[in-house]
Amino acid sequence: MADEQNPPAAPPPSGPARTWPPVADRALLGKPIRRIDGPDKSQGKAKYTYDIVRPGMLYGRLLSSPHPYAVVKSIDVTPALKVPGVKAAIALKDPAGPTAKIWYQGEEVAAVAATTEEAAEDAVRAIKVEYEILPALATVEQSMSANAPVNFPKGNVSAERLTLRPDKADVEAALKASAHIVEGTYSTQVQTHTSLETHGGICEWNGEKLTAWVSTQAVHATRDGLSRALQMQQSDVHVITDYMGGGFGSKLGPDVQVVIAAKLAKEAGAPVKLMLTRKEEHLITGNRPSAYAKVKAGVDAQGKLTAFDAETWGTGGAGQGAGFNIPYPVYAFGVLRQRHKDVFINAGPQRAMRAPGHPQACFITEVVVDELADRLRMDPLELRMRNLPPAGPDGQDLPTQQWRKYFPMAADKIGWSRRHATADTGSGPIKRGMGCAANRWAGGGSNRTRAACEILPDGGVVMRIGTQDIGTGTRTLVAMITAETMGLPLTAVKAAIGDSEYPWAPGSGGSTTVGSISPTVRIAAENARDALFAKVAPSLRVEPAALVAKDGRVQVKDNPAKGMTWKEACRLLGVQPISADGAWQQGLSSSGTSGVQFADVEVDIETGITRVKRVVCVQDCGMIVDRITAESQVYGGIIMGIGFALFEHRILDRNTAKMVNPNMEFYLLPGMSDIPEIDITLIDQPERGPVGLGEPPTISTAAAIANAIANATGARVRSLPLTPAAVLAALHEERSGGTR
Amino acid sequence: MTHPTLASRHVTPMHCSHLRHKGMYVTGDVTSEPNGFADDIDATSFWCVCTQKAFGPDGLPVTLEDCATGRSCCNHDAAEAT
Amino acid sequence: MKAFAYVNAANEKEAIAALGPERGRMLPLAGGMDLLALMKDYVAQPERLVNVKNLDRTVAKTPDGGLRIGAAVTLAALAQHADVRRLYPALAEAAAEVGTPQIRNVGTLGGNLNQRPRCWYFRNEEFPCLKKGGARCFAVDGENQFHAIFGDGPCHIVHPSSLAVPAIALGARFRIVGPAGEREVTAADYYVMPDRNLYGETVLAPNELLTHVILPAPGTAKSATYEVRFKQSHDWPLAMASVALVMNGQTITSARVVMGAVAPVPWRAEGAEAALAGKRISEATATAAADAAVKGAKPMTQNGYKVQIAHTAVKRAILKAGGIAVV
Repeated sequence: MADEQNPPAAPPPSGPARTWPPVADRALLGKPIRRIDGPDKSQGKAKYTYDIVRPGMLYGRLLSSPHPYAVVKSIDVTPALKVPGVKAAIALKDPAGPTAKIWYQGEEVAAVAATTEEAAEDAVRAIKVEYEILPALATVEQSMSANAPVNFPKGNVSAERLTLRPDKADVEAALKASAHIVEGTYSTQVQTHTSLETHGGICEWNGEKLTAWVSTQAVHATRDGLSRALQMQQSDVHVITDYMGGGFGSKLGPDVQVVIAAKLAKEAGAPVKLMLTRKEEHLITGNRPSAYAKVKAGVDAQGKLTAFDAETWGTGGAGQGAGFNIPYPVYAFGVLRQRHKDVFINAGPQRAMRAPGHPQACFITEVVVDELADRLRMDPLELRMRNLPPAGPDGQDLPTQQWRKYFPMAADKIGWSRRHATADTGSGPIKRGMGCAANRWAGGGSNRTRAACEILPDGGVVMRIGTQDIGTGTRTLVAMITAETMGLPLTAVKAAIGDSEYPWAPGSGGSTTVGSISPTVRIAAENARDALFAKVAPSLRVEPAALVAKDGRVQVKDNPAKGMTWKEACRLLGVQPISADGAWQQGLSSSGTSGVQFADVEVDIETGITRVKRVVCVQDCGMIVDRITAESQVYGGIIMGIGFALFEHRILDRNTAKMVNPNMEFYLLPGMSDIPEIDITLIDQPERGPVGLGEPPTISTAAAIANAIANATGARVRSLPLTPAAVLAALHEERSGGTR
Repeated sequence: MTHPTLASRHVTPMHCSHLRHKGMYVTGDVTSEPNGFADDIDATSFWCVCTQKAFGPDGLPVTLEDCATGRSCCNHDAAEAT
Repeated sequence: MKAFAYVNAANEKEAIAALGPERGRMLPLAGGMDLLALMKDYVAQPERLVNVKNLDRTVAKTPDGGLRIGAAVTLAALAQHADVRRLYPALAEAAAEVGTPQIRNVGTLGGNLNQRPRCWYFRNEEFPCLKKGGARCFAVDGENQFHAIFGDGPCHIVHPSSLAVPAIALGARFRIVGPAGEREVTAADYYVMPDRNLYGETVLAPNELLTHVILPAPGTAKSATYEVRFKQSHDWPLAMASVALVMNGQTITSARVVMGAVAPVPWRAEGAEAALAGKRISEATATAAADAAVKGAKPMTQNGYKVQIAHTAVKRAILKAGGIAVV
């Protein structure tokens, strides 16, 4: 889809040329606006799916398989039905059918609904299940070993996929001709999404019609999923998501548990809420696959990157791929080759997770680039600057590839000139260092997006759009764009979102929400406003085109005194509101972002513990709609990046493939005291229209931190997470012969 | 520098109409390439809209290669309509 | 969690009467920070909980110049108590580092000293480990990066209490009440290795309660605790150490050095103590003592790094006690 090089086909022009108001005229757009539901969220008034209680509602609970690889031989749910308060119990595996097999720990085997959570828990424990336990594959090493059991239908390892560029390039020759070579094995761990609100929903039947309150990133996808899974008419399914507590790519449909809630609700004849436990959340709702790369990369004596050759693999769990493309497409290597294999293990399948593939590819590539700079004894920033994509014929970089501008800006902010060339030689165990990395993301918007706007006779304005606010501030953006277009204060506008009965908008994924909804809301609001102008113009004896909506008034553009208040204008509507639709058009948004991040760290070489002191980020996202929510995305992305760099790690017991840390105690996440000073410079590109920002800021944090650790200690850690064990091992290796 | 699109990553009419990936819901286009918005980095996960998981009604993994004509549970809405 | 009965004990006598001799069936509940989590994870399934929050929580001076601390005192109150901070910095420092502010506001001294191990095999009901009556310790050839580097098993937990470590260093005695009356044991004798008690970590009988911690007058002892955590927020120490150095002027006459999170019990480092006797506090002395402390460590397959961290903790605790900046 959308990319600067491959723009989507433009739909035929369907109306007037659309523009954003001139920057000088903007009352709200681009300003720092607090999210409109912030007070409700902080006071507990905003009801998330987890909070909703329906009259007569039952609590659903899953019986999850404790075994990562097994066959269900029998299920008896009758003991569950004898537990007081239990209203329904269903088996979810058919021991006689093709779904008898368990592929990963936590797979759903049966479910119950009861009047209390406690009764539901007692009831799932009463269910009798016989398993035939099979030897599970817990690690990529096990799956790849020659004598491993073959647990997957087409083998434990996929066929190799080759990427070679340019075609027929001789990678070996290019490496041989290089002045310096770096060779090493790099890896990143499996990370789980760990959404604060676990997956789940509430299902309530009214005859054959289903209402589902779901913690989802996609109300329309959830409607599609529920209707298909339950074999219903889509029109009979109504999905509501007022507020949701994080998804990061893992909540793009109803998921198994909401389908199960609907089945339980039907069986019990009462609404059922089924929210996953924290343990289930870690096990079955997806993850970022691991990445491994055996890399050989070269550079010539002048600091021109010559060749990048990689054998890569990784695991997306049971049956899903683990793709990532290296070198990460920021620096121009002369020739490149990647030979990739997906490895399957008996663990929960991966799902899209905040910039799928990018943090892994960025970490590996940026560490290799730093190591090549070390070989050259060149400032790694200088090596990066020398290998950015060439500027265009006009001498300008693409607006989506602004690294040449951002690297020096961020370097200046972090004080790169004070960076020591090799390890910190100061006395004492605390070593300080700096590192950097770049990111890119496309984003874009869906040309299918629709919105509907009403202007009511009492002056009220409602903007309906079937998007959802996954915590990014979408509700606020819908209100801001509508209010800006109407010349009204933010509070005068109702943003109605999170409902599958509102016009279609895409699932919030791929950082495309802002690029989808912003143009569409603008157009729907303009259409409604112009319809109001048409009503008002005769009474002012002007053409509608002469009118503007500004400062709560509808007035003649060249003669502001001639006009009326917004309310007076709306009163002219009598009893009939204005209804106007909007369809996405090209030109009000775009795609493609670039950014850089620098990290300043302290490493205690006597404990191996890294403290990130400061992260400096320079990032663009096209036209900034709301400066506060945009910065908030960057804060969140960097904090998640710190988690990926240092802490987060799904650890499976190597002998059983069961997760040993399905909690927040030993699945470590950054806490308040682990978050450094974060210095954000957002580059406004008002001429481009908005571009999504959810994903890019999490991509390069880990790479920058890893490079900073090497700069601080002189020891190179080539695997994530950067634990004390890993750092101490690298220091030990460095002392006894070198890590580079 | 951009990785060119891999044509083989497209969902085609040969594929099962129950096959899903994020790109479909993000672009609104079932035949869109899975990862345009992600700079063509191929990290796509797939699921079955009927089972809502990465395994189909036949108990086997949902993949772009496998979820096509020939698989026992493969469904073509268009064929049903005619 | 499994349903349970609840008894609100007004005093020690009522509490003891409500407990029973069978392990795990009746359990005392103080702050509940550990117990409720064990119950939610179905690792503990008591039939009755006995609320002991009403027992003594005062910090009282003893005639010999020490302190007698009621086990129901919260960790926050302990960490902030002026006498505790002045007389026993090692204890106050350890209390201030536990968990999070919320945990310290609710969790108690007695609860901390008696908490169960954090071993992820023990805490996960899907692993029938030795400690839960199973046949093997899953850590031996499994995921043991946070497990013991001292002790011969057969269970390889590390003791989770970070207050037990300074308690032993400071020579504390624990007052225990039971059906037969009361007794006192030294903190060092209170904790026992898995070969003596596999299903618990102490000498406490199921119908006994730890009610008081009695600390002797510190005299000329300088004490300190140094804890090494990966995360600054809410994390368990990778290793820690508490030291009490009895001084004669600038010279250490005798020392107690205890390491935490390295063994199934708080691990007394007698070699380090010997290395310190007669020395002045210095970087060299501290390093020599730390070398002695980790001598004999037997790391498992993935926790060799903890030896280095324990070494650092001992060294820095000694320097900290001497008022020397450690980093």
